[in-house]
Amino acid sequence: MKNKNFVNLNINPCKMCMPMGAVMALKGIENSMIILHGSQGCSTYIRRHMAGHYNEPIDVGSSSLSEEGTVYGGEANLKKGLINMIKLYSPSIIGVATTCLAETIGEDIKRITEEFKKDNMIVSKKAVEIVPISTPGYGGTQFEGFYGALTSIVKSLSDDKTKNESINIITGCLNPGDIRNIKSILDQFKVKYTILPDVSDTLDSPYKKEYKKIPQGGTKIEDIRKMAGAKATIEMGMTVTGNISPGEYLSDKYKVPLHRCPYPIGIRNTDVFLETISKITGKRTPKKLLEDRGRLLDGMIDSHKFNGEGRAVIFGDPEISYGVGRLCLENGIKPLLIATGSSNKSITELLKKEKHTPLVIDDTDFDTIRKHAVELKANLLIGNSDGKFITEREGIPLVRIGFPIHDRVGAQRSNIVGYNGSLMLLDNMTNTLLENKYNKYRKEMYGKYFSETVKKEETITAKEKTLSHPCFSGGACKVARMHIPVAPSCNIKCNYCNRKYDCMNESRPGVTSEVLSPKEALDKYLTLKEKMPNLKVLGIAGPGDALANFENTIKSLELIKEVDPEVIFCLSTNGLMLPYYADRIIEAGISHITVTINAVDPEIGKKIYSEVNFGGKKLVGKKAAEFLIGNQLSGLSYMASKGIVCKVNIVMIKGINERHIEEVVKEVKSRGVFISNIMPLIPAKGSSFENMPQTNNRELGEMRKKCEKYLKQMYHCKQCRADAVGILGKDVSSQFSKSACSSLKSNKEYTFAIATESGMIIDKHFGHVDEFYIYSSKKGEIKFIEKRSIEKYCTGVSDCDDEDSKIDRLIKTINDCDAVLALRVGYSPQKKMLEKGIKVIQTCGSIKDGVNYAIEVLEKKETCKTVI
Amino acid sequence: MKKKIDKIVENYPAAVFKNRKEHIIVKDNNTEEPQKIKANTRTVPGIITNRGCCYAGCKGVVLGPLRDAVVLTHGPIGCGYYTWGTRRNKGRTEGDEKNFLNYCFSTDLQESDIVFGGEKKLKKAIKEAVEIFEPKTIFICSTCPVGLIGDDIHSIASEAEKEYGIKVVSFSCEGYKGVSQSGGHHIANNGLIKHIIGTGEKVVGKFAINILGEYNIGGDGWEIERILRKIGYEIVSLIPGNGTVEDLKSAHKADLNIIQCHRSINYIGEMMGTKYGQDWIKVNFIGVKSTIKSLRNIAKYFDDSDLIARTEAVIEEELKEITYKLEEYKKMCEGKTAALFVGGSRAHHYQHILKDLGIKTILAGYEFAHRDDYEGREALPDIKEDGDSKNIENLEVTKDPENYKLFLTKEQYEKLKDEISLNYYSGMIKEMDNGSIVVDDLNHYETEELLKILKPDIFCSGIKDKYIAHKAGIFSKQLHSYDYSGPYAGFKGSVIFARDIAMGITTPAWDMITPPWKTQPMLEGSYIGGN
Repeated sequence: MKNKNFVNLNINPCKMCMPMGAVMALKGIENSMIILHGSQGCSTYIRRHMAGHYNEPIDVGSSSLSEEGTVYGGEANLKKGLINMIKLYSPSIIGVATTCLAETIGEDIKRITEEFKKDNMIVSKKAVEIVPISTPGYGGTQFEGFYGALTSIVKSLSDDKTKNESINIITGCLNPGDIRNIKSILDQFKVKYTILPDVSDTLDSPYKKEYKKIPQGGTKIEDIRKMAGAKATIEMGMTVTGNISPGEYLSDKYKVPLHRCPYPIGIRNTDVFLETISKITGKRTPKKLLEDRGRLLDGMIDSHKFNGEGRAVIFGDPEISYGVGRLCLENGIKPLLIATGSSNKSITELLKKEKHTPLVIDDTDFDTIRKHAVELKANLLIGNSDGKFITEREGIPLVRIGFPIHDRVGAQRSNIVGYNGSLMLLDNMTNTLLENKYNKYRKEMYGKYFSETVKKEETITAKEKTLSHPCFSGGACKVARMHIPVAPSCNIKCNYCNRKYDCMNESRPGVTSEVLSPKEALDKYLTLKEKMPNLKVLGIAGPGDALANFENTIKSLELIKEVDPEVIFCLSTNGLMLPYYADRIIEAGISHITVTINAVDPEIGKKIYSEVNFGGKKLVGKKAAEFLIGNQLSGLSYMASKGIVCKVNIVMIKGINERHIEEVVKEVKSRGVFISNIMPLIPAKGSSFENMPQTNNRELGEMRKKCEKYLKQMYHCKQCRADAVGILGKDVSSQFSKSACSSLKSNKEYTFAIATESGMIIDKHFGHVDEFYIYSSKKGEIKFIEKRSIEKYCTGVSDCDDEDSKIDRLIKTINDCDAVLALRVGYSPQKKMLEKGIKVIQTCGSIKDGVNYAIEVLEKKETCKTVI
Repeated sequence: MKKKIDKIVENYPAAVFKNRKEHIIVKDNNTEEPQKIKANTRTVPGIITNRGCCYAGCKGVVLGPLRDAVVLTHGPIGCGYYTWGTRRNKGRTEGDEKNFLNYCFSTDLQESDIVFGGEKKLKKAIKEAVEIFEPKTIFICSTCPVGLIGDDIHSIASEAEKEYGIKVVSFSCEGYKGVSQSGGHHIANNGLIKHIIGTGEKVVGKFAINILGEYNIGGDGWEIERILRKIGYEIVSLIPGNGTVEDLKSAHKADLNIIQCHRSINYIGEMMGTKYGQDWIKVNFIGVKSTIKSLRNIAKYFDDSDLIARTEAVIEEELKEITYKLEEYKKMCEGKTAALFVGGSRAHHYQHILKDLGIKTILAGYEFAHRDDYEGREALPDIKEDGDSKNIENLEVTKDPENYKLFLTKEQYEKLKDEISLNYYSGMIKEMDNGSIVVDDLNHYETEELLKILKPDIFCSGIKDKYIAHKAGIFSKQLHSYDYSGPYAGFKGSVIFARDIAMGITTPAWDMITPPWKTQPMLEGSYIGGN
């Protein structure tokens, strides 16, 4: 799983920088100030962000380094800054935190602060603690900055080893409301404690008649000194280790026993916190807290019916994400994704003990989170207010927790810890789900149960497997698929097929422009996956037959499976070899299979298949068809019995099998097939059927409707190329082929008519167009000229291909064009345009690529195969 | 008053006292020489200034609001993150135009990049941005460490420009340059003149103008645009609020530049004058009277009777709609006092709208202005270059023979020069009342102390000192982000501003608290007794 959509570009960051964390930590110390050693922007930005969240004045000093300071060192500025702060504010302690700038020029703040401390004592006779804190902006996030700053404070101050009865409580980046609740829990236990940092009053101070320059409250310095002799430390931070853990420092240096617990969010995490207090003090959980626990449970039971529908994406710092993730899990809300901007690998490990393990990604950005949220169909976002950009764009509601929250009030006093706080958060989440549900209930229910267009799925298992496969489910059209052309040879000969695979324009099964080795297939897959994160389905559809090239096929699948176990494999075959390879196919993890069966009666089959090659023998005529059909059906039965989702493709050939198709459908249905796809014959030039009549859409539609009585029909087939790439109907393979065509610098000027809906991709059927985009090209420069409105010549399936006069009118409007580019062009207009000297190019992908290709065709005077 | 102020600054250590007292003046109408103020000098360390850095001025202020450019921050994550959607500069796209305002792009440099250089990462990040977003323009803004590790962002930009066939412009706006965000404005102005303006070929019609230095906070720019279009002007480009690089390329085709924010954009105005012959007029669309004056001045420049008639008709029409509403609010606001500390121009602009409402400005100051913003452009020859200002390139431009054109004849110019103050800004101090206070680079400490002695009813500033005012029981109005309100510009905006102020000062909460000075002696003394 990739952390980010892009390796080098962070799009919409899900993290802040280390100095931010240091400021948040220092704000919880009594009578403290902090100065950032660097350019003044750092402190201004941090003040701005914190003031917006806490709705309090946030004083952060800066040494205001200018260009001179960066060249000659910033020591003088820093010392001046410290003097000014002491003079104006009389703090007891000043944290000196570095920034990118100070760290890059290599400022030795430890030495500077020690020197300053000595000098200051002599001058002012007043002891001010100066704590150096190393927080390079590039060294981590605010999360590491926060714990790191706490460690620096403890290292500087905690030196009183005299044993005392107090417990050290190291809290995480929690809000003042949370800290007040944690203190209330500890007070109810009647234990002595030192909470570090204590932001409960400093970052949420009450309105008082007299304004204090430094807000009152915070952890007392003398208490911090005594932390070295405390009875124990409880550190809220399951993922906090090593040199950023104050608890570990106290345990290593002063042998203060360390107990770790998660943020007390949710019933189990709160249990851990309370049990730890009991374990250390021997005191039992106070009655009032037990009642709170009961109330939380009561609430969990009351709302579980609604929570069961929750599909949550959680983001924030590692600890809050982990805590809220566990709260979701214990309430039946499915956490689909837990994301954090920090580099932190421990969350995955911690969540392994859970029954359901969500996707966890660290070091990520909001662009990536958004994509996952959409793909995973989340209905709830939980995290800071930066998630609003996802809400705005995708409509997924956001429950705001953590830091920062800039677009709502009250974040500083919110309480999401302990039994009571967890219940408030849970209620908030449930209510968000309910609000969404009430807003859409009537509409959704109507669509589900009363709308005639929605048909019930056949079976649940097949449905689940199929939902995300574009060829099997119309609804999965947003999931991209990729066909890899690794199977060049074929073992039967169909009369409709001519597999000369060098044309880029034929979007027809069996046609591909390049054949890849398994290794090349892997490379292509990797390149594409990077560009199309929604690439989920990988299939082999030729250009020959997947099973006639079995070793190549299986090797390619294995290689790809190794790098991406989540991909859905599918395979298309004529079914001749199916009974022989069935088990190996299943072993390889292929879940979807498509078999093309055009007849189940050998008498009809012999008209379609001219030869069948099996085991070195060539069969012809009825025998060939008999053998093929036998293998197809027994193979299908076996695959279906093993739970593989089977689809049958049927090519509708007028005058040959059109009356027989119903029989085919009935037969394959009895073999356990899930869906069938009836496709029209594309009379390929050079094939035996080149002069056969084409089936029109109306006939096709009627046939599908007729067969729907027996078996689910596929209505959305786009007859992909064997190397099709992308979302159905939007083949972008020409952009990704081994030798993407280069744009020619032609001197001639050409005009093109383009069938496009989006104006970017050639994405429309010629007959469905009501305006053409006219492009011109000169010397390789492609220019949009105008939009030309026309009367739609094909207004419905019934009159398509029939009305000559309409086609004539239409062609008149684009008479001046050298070529027409469309996704697909009907047979009759193709002929007419050819007569008029207009080249017809059936393609997809971007307009620019299409036009470049068209120039190539026009320049080379190549008889493109689509130009019939 | 002077004594009270002295008392505040006396608390400073000696060196700071000497420095700060030159940044504070009490307006005296009776001096022979115009009053001088110290400005645009280094910030005192540790004093908790409201100023930002060079990067903030370049990326956050001037370049950020251009909606069709991908602005890529080259540096560690913080700087990019902190400028992500925080200035409320609105942008609306039409058709299939691209809008990147909701995005934050960063190269997110890590420790190893600082050690081994970030050039490779930047190159790849540009490539990724091009591939996924297909922008026509990429701006690269560097942060502190980039300048120190010596990444050559300029050659990377020009390479990328060649490779991808789009505009890629780099800005060396490391945070430590200059003394405030003002340096960043200048750097951004230089880059736009050098690489963007003059490269477009848009054909423009009659009465073509550029709106410079309007940031479209809360939709201000939209209201200004609405009025100007209604009168019949063609707006060639907007720099930068709701503007596009595409329009900006043809800015040189306009007949006139109108400048709203003198501080951040006067460089472009001046340089376009030298290069393309365009004049500029300082306008102010904050407040009804100043909006009307600005509109009349612009019309006079074009000296077209139809245009002038249309201007008057629009003014009349607009006034009809708002006057009675404003009168209502004025009744609630009249007689109140205000202190303003904001930006490099806004502290001046908003005095006009406050005056419209009968509110007296008793203190005004800028964060990052220069002396000309206080004293008027006549102070320019008197401003000496120092080490910090020398570090910001002073771009020399020359006449562009192909595009240079003068709109006015020499006679017309001479006639209008003084009448509508062509290419001139008179500064803030001249318009202030006798005895009012002007403070440059006001800091946290002085804010607290000045609020105590001045007891204004309204404190207009930004979010960083908004809550000091709240804690002191004073209504505060953010003039950077408008507290999620706006627009405040033009005719319709005036009503919204008046409503917000009236609503703010009359909220019932104020009646439930007693500020300390009501029970405290005026100067000094501690409060004895319970709360």
